[in-house]
Amino acid sequence: MIEVTVQVNGAPRTASVEARKTLADFLRDDLDLTGTHVGCEHGVCGACTVIVDGRAVRSCLMLAVQAAGAEITTIEGLANDGGLGTLQQAMWDSHSFQCGFCTPGFVMQATAYLSAHPDADEQEIREALSGNICRCTGYQSIIDGVLLAAQRSREA
Amino acid sequence: MAQIAAERYTGASVKRSEDPRILTGKGRYVDDLKLPGMLHAAFVRSPLAHGRVLTVDASAARDLPGVVLVLTGSDLDAITIRGQDPLFAMMGGDGPKPDYSLLATDKVRFVGDPVAVVIAESRYLAEDGCELVEVDYEDLTPVTNTAFALEAGSPRLFANLDDNIIGPHKRSEFGDVAGTFAAADRVAEFRIDVHRHQNVPMEGRGCVASYDPDSGVMTVHAATQGVHMTRMGVAMRLGIEPDKVHVLAGDIGGSFGLKIGASREELAVAAASRALGRPVKWVEDRSENLAASGQAREEGFDVLAAVSDDGDLRGLDVKMVLDNGAYPVMGTMVPGIMEMMLPGPYKLAALGFESTAVATNKASYIAYRGPWASETFVRERVFDLLAKDLGLDPLEIRLRNMAPRTDPPQLMVTGRPLVGVTARESLERVAQIVDIPAFRRRQAEERARGRYLGIGLATFIEAAPGPRSPEAGSGPMGLEFMRLTLAEDGIVTLFTGQMPHGQSHQTTLAQIAADEFGVPFEQVRVVVGDTAVVPFGFTGGSRSATMTGGVALHGARQLKGKVLDFAAVLFEASAQDLEITDGEVLVRGDPDSAIPVAEVARQVASGQFPGDVDTSFEVEASYDGGEGGWSGGSHCAIVEVDVETGIVKVERYVAAEDCGALINPAVVEGQIRGGIAQGIGAVLLERSAYDADGNYQSATFMDYLLPTACDIPRIEIEHLETVPLDADVNFRGVGEGGMIVAPPTLVSAIEDALAPFGVRIYEQHLPPARILELIAGADAR
Repeated sequence: MIEVTVQVNGAPRTASVEARKTLADFLRDDLDLTGTHVGCEHGVCGACTVIVDGRAVRSCLMLAVQAAGAEITTIEGLANDGGLGTLQQAMWDSHSFQCGFCTPGFVMQATAYLSAHPDADEQEIREALSGNICRCTGYQSIIDGVLLAAQRSREA
Repeated sequence: MAQIAAERYTGASVKRSEDPRILTGKGRYVDDLKLPGMLHAAFVRSPLAHGRVLTVDASAARDLPGVVLVLTGSDLDAITIRGQDPLFAMMGGDGPKPDYSLLATDKVRFVGDPVAVVIAESRYLAEDGCELVEVDYEDLTPVTNTAFALEAGSPRLFANLDDNIIGPHKRSEFGDVAGTFAAADRVAEFRIDVHRHQNVPMEGRGCVASYDPDSGVMTVHAATQGVHMTRMGVAMRLGIEPDKVHVLAGDIGGSFGLKIGASREELAVAAASRALGRPVKWVEDRSENLAASGQAREEGFDVLAAVSDDGDLRGLDVKMVLDNGAYPVMGTMVPGIMEMMLPGPYKLAALGFESTAVATNKASYIAYRGPWASETFVRERVFDLLAKDLGLDPLEIRLRNMAPRTDPPQLMVTGRPLVGVTARESLERVAQIVDIPAFRRRQAEERARGRYLGIGLATFIEAAPGPRSPEAGSGPMGLEFMRLTLAEDGIVTLFTGQMPHGQSHQTTLAQIAADEFGVPFEQVRVVVGDTAVVPFGFTGGSRSATMTGGVALHGARQLKGKVLDFAAVLFEASAQDLEITDGEVLVRGDPDSAIPVAEVARQVASGQFPGDVDTSFEVEASYDGGEGGWSGGSHCAIVEVDVETGIVKVERYVAAEDCGALINPAVVEGQIRGGIAQGIGAVLLERSAYDADGNYQSATFMDYLLPTACDIPRIEIEHLETVPLDADVNFRGVGEGGMIVAPPTLVSAIEDALAPFGVRIYEQHLPPARILELIAGADAR
């Protein structure tokens, strides 16, 4: 067992894990941050996306030990004072999601993308989110949510 | 927070009450559950499509530190009761009942068939344990297609059956089939195939089973479309009294027909929990989901069409063989629905329909969104192919064959009245929106430049719930139940057997009840997912809009009546003169008289009424679907096919749908778009592929391709609202239509794009490689 300390959503967290444990399982099982979902365990669906040192990362493809010392943001860390962030609010307003299982991955991916590309257009956003799979919505409502968030951020 | 200023919530795109938890990671899915002392299960699965299990040696696995229990097929067989899948048992009717165990004992019948379950302190250790279970198999000849399965002397999958026929051959005739064919100007013949593909919810199946040896109560936290159906399955197969099985469900990460009842794996997990007296969790991983959870479709149709020279389709004679895969779940139920629905909204005067469902060494055929959808694919394909034969326009041939809306309504040749069907209006509307003549001009110009555009149309109707049959005593979908309560804090709570997994019932049902009862939306709660408190019910078959919407409306009306009766005493007024508006009871026209509903509830509860008066604000409501009615619509796709690469781009997609009155337009449109996206995936990308030996070829997302945000266009939707049929409830189901009609729409468009090559399409799966083959094959002719 290896002791791993990470900075998660602004607070240091430590747990002892096997070397083979994925970051996704570490977040979910050891840190009880179950907002990060595991959809395929082979890096395709994007449901487990979290932000590690500023980059969107598939936490099923990264080992917990590889994340030692890193700064991680999960879906639980986005909300302002227990409310909703700009993107989350825009997604609520846009009826972005249905079953909600893919949601954390989309929110994290879009958060990372918008922070680097605040002026992205629809096609760019579609491409940026094309590594995340949603089986419920046909994507349009998700794209609309991201576009609305980008617009509100620009106007703010 | 008040969301809308509308007079009524019903009909408005009220923001979902589910979303604040889902958007912040506070959803509670089954894998999020952690119980004290909880163990984890993993399954040993068959690497063979067909084999005899000779020995299972679990000794090394049992010795592995962290492994607590290994159950082989025979271990589990000894502590459970053999039987059929709960869904099949409930709805399967007569026919062969193959004998098999929850985990393989004598034989394995598909790649992924569960053979043993390992229970350990963690999922990692359980999977380590699986590696150590040694199974000796004798290879048996795999039966991987229906033609071979039906050959005399083909290996049998089940020892207790005489052959591989699992849904016995059946022929039905409606109208004068022989006469219609004899009198036809011409008889066209087609062979049409629908390929195997599957649900793939983003969350796989899973459960946490927790048996309490002291009370004898089995608690199952399930990912299910109906907690009561899961309870029935667990009770039946584990031999527990139903009242000792408590099923709970939280958020469900999609299903589309997959998570009904109790799967063999979930039953094994429950039995393991009982054997150990400890909670056990199993959540399938993606390869298990793709290989073993179940697959859908895969039917072949030999079609004869009796048609007049000017394009009247008079009769169809269809022979269907359905590839059921290994075990009966849904495959034997589908033919009857296809038979009933095949005429669609058309005037068809005669239908011969015969079907056989055949067991093969593949994953079991399960329900997937619009399980009978292939009837629409076949019918709409036939219209396009006939149009080509006869030199007719695809729009024209459909319009000329559509049943007119008459009073009394025309009957489908299979019997049901086409009451309130707006197929014609929807088809004319999509044609108008896309402006077909303008498209044809553009198509011709682009073809001259070497670009191949195509347009496709298709129409469907869906019995959601279907019309009330004049002679039947009950409604089209049986009864739907709901318990409603008003608490002393003024909160109205609806207890429903619906088990939402993306359908937004906690929002839509609250909208209806809030309007009918007269309280703000925020004052209504919808409780789901607990067999101890919700009535029987399940989510499926697009039933909830009418059935549950209806029971919410009528139940809220009953509850309101009860409140007004007491308020009449408190107000010393007649109940008829009182109303409830915005959460307050008042004398009509006298705003000063208003007191909050909560205050009425508190006063009634304060003991001022005699003991023999029922002062509980609780009603048990039921609803039979009222007048019912059809959902339906027409879709139109415009595609571009790159004839060099075979890549199809969906340039435009328009849907004109009629699901009656909309409860929440954003929710309705989400259902439509999601279904269309699955239909686009089914045609362009998705296939549950087996090789000739029955090895599964699509067990990862690199092999089973799902549509992404770049594959699905912006989908345009127009709502038609028909003639209301019912005095109160005209909401109709809309969950399945997109998936039913998108595949024929898209295939029609692709065929149209490839018309210059003389391509005709008789199949549904058209990935780039197949498009290129079709072009090359047509060239060669």
